[in-house]
Amino acid sequence: MAISDDIAVVGWAQTPMVRHTDLSEVQLLLRVITDAIEPLGLTRADIDFTCLGSCDYITGQAFSFVGNLDAIGAWPPKRDSHVEMDGAWALYEAWLRLQEGDIDIAVVTGSGRSSTGDPALIYPMEMDPYFLAPIGADPVTFAALQARAAIKAGIADERAMAEVAVRARGKGEVDELLKGDYVREPLRRHDLPPITDGAAAMVLARGDRARELVERPAYITGFDHRTECHNPSFRALDDSPSTRIAAEAAGLGKAPVELAELQAAFTHEELLLRSVLGLSDEVKVNPSGGALKENPIMASGLCRIGYAADHIFGGGNRALAHSTSGPCLQQNLICILEGRS
Amino acid sequence: MPHVVRFVENTITFPYVRSLGPVTGAFMTALTDKRILGIRNGDAVLCPPMEWDPATGAELPHDLVEVGPAGTVESWTWVPEPTLQHPLDHPFAFAFIRLDGASTPLLYAVDAGSPDAMSEGMRVAPRWKGERIGHLTDIVAFVPGEEPEVDGEDLGPASEPVELMDYLASITYRNPVPPTSDLVVEASREHRLVGFLCPECGKTYIGGRGVCPIDSLEFGAEHAIDLPHTGTLTNHVVITPVPYPGQTETEPFGRVFIALDGSDATLGYQPIVDMSVDDIRVGMRMKAVWAPADEAVEDGGGMGGAYGALIGWTPSGEPDVDDPDLVNRIF
Repeated sequence: MAISDDIAVVGWAQTPMVRHTDLSEVQLLLRVITDAIEPLGLTRADIDFTCLGSCDYITGQAFSFVGNLDAIGAWPPKRDSHVEMDGAWALYEAWLRLQEGDIDIAVVTGSGRSSTGDPALIYPMEMDPYFLAPIGADPVTFAALQARAAIKAGIADERAMAEVAVRARGKGEVDELLKGDYVREPLRRHDLPPITDGAAAMVLARGDRARELVERPAYITGFDHRTECHNPSFRALDDSPSTRIAAEAAGLGKAPVELAELQAAFTHEELLLRSVLGLSDEVKVNPSGGALKENPIMASGLCRIGYAADHIFGGGNRALAHSTSGPCLQQNLICILEGRS
Repeated sequence: MPHVVRFVENTITFPYVRSLGPVTGAFMTALTDKRILGIRNGDAVLCPPMEWDPATGAELPHDLVEVGPAGTVESWTWVPEPTLQHPLDHPFAFAFIRLDGASTPLLYAVDAGSPDAMSEGMRVAPRWKGERIGHLTDIVAFVPGEEPEVDGEDLGPASEPVELMDYLASITYRNPVPPTSDLVVEASREHRLVGFLCPECGKTYIGGRGVCPIDSLEFGAEHAIDLPHTGTLTNHVVITPVPYPGQTETEPFGRVFIALDGSDATLGYQPIVDMSVDDIRVGMRMKAVWAPADEAVEDGGGMGGAYGALIGWTPSGEPDVDDPDLVNRIF
């Protein structure tokens, strides 16, 4: 089957991104889905397929995605799916589903309340159960080891990392930041993402339906994701081959992009991804501030695609969005969006 | 006064028992004998050992070889504030340690005292627990130097191959209580049974559910309605308890479903009061049983069961309802 490039992002929305919300995940989703579909003149009855991205370990409730169905109005019974992944992977599944050509509109979400528990205790449970989980191998430790590898390879240094932090957050001063203590050497507080509660929802539409809904749909012309070995012991941490292969498969090399939204939760990840993707200095990277500014787990990647779509909606021609999952950029997703005149 | 959202804390433990398989099992068994095993992958030796080639997924022959026990730090980071899950309770380094003879690094703790004592290329050796059970944490930590150490009396290797391992995580979560849940529990203290009426579809929802799942409409106090305290038993289940951690029930118990009078709402999974499980019948007329007004009540509501001051349901004494469709009403 030939892959259709006539499927487009036509809108998206995100909740306020806050350190701590009083709202439940269902409430976040209810509001953000409404915010995504209403400006397009759509109701929940118009949605042919939904795919939600969330994580039970973060919520602290088994099958929490079943409760989240309350937010999509799943009656009469709907085509629905769920991924225990960032909403960016939910979008991938919806994009695949629309390829079948029998339905026109899909809504995907990513949602998480990171403030619910302690990420340093939750994430080790997702690691290798024999060799990593039993020693509480936490995400900041892994990030620090990857940062050290990137520094050793000349891809990053502590000053360049601080510069990324200042640019992303639009505040701070590099020399001052570099005086801070290490959280995990060589990472300081500014190299780490914030803990953020929030959700995002995105609307995908196919063919003429997309063009009816918006003047300038953001067509998905390339979409791919690849994974590497689960245990960082067996990977070259100063590289990201899965990102490179996904970008090639998504057609990054066919034409320049004007903007790249990279899901870099740690400062060195942005430098490493830039290097692996071979982005020139002309490319605007993470003008949104990226995951260093707001990091709603399970929605952070979907937001990257949302900001890239905004670039197209605003008249841009070609943008790249990246999402990642797992320790040390284990799994990477690349989505290329284009406008048409 | 605006409602202040309440949060509840609950701690979930994940007591997993994992099968180790032929390769990890051999590794864990060797730990009890203070030996560390890698596995051959062509010319390379993987430690930690894997059953498959990490690059290709091809199954590896079970050609295990001893590595270390000393090794070289390839990379490290300092942990100034350990978590409860970390192997040490004082500051330490997490390091990639390439054990002598291995081609890949093992992530482990190095008990070095200070980050100033850490460097790439430094030599480290394991400090073993005296009592080893065939678990990764049989290694307390690695310590600077060439010589392995044992903490306390060395109780020797396991007498049988190690085939299983325990993994216990405990995570505390803090979640908001939907304001609608608070509202119905509060009302129950006044012996009121409150539901929420969806203005879109006209359906009534009970048990503090904060959303109409059909219309995706959030309920607030303005949607609350008082419901009758009587209804008809539509369906039931009798549960014979099997042992499980934290068990409180020991005798068979009933849970019934009650279609409330004059409403499309059915209360699910309700306890029965002052009646035997043998007497439960579809069609029975039932009435609510409330805790005394001044008695402290649990919030409850798990599994859609009784909540707050609503203790359960008991026969009202009215004649049964004869309706073959009743059994379908469980939601």
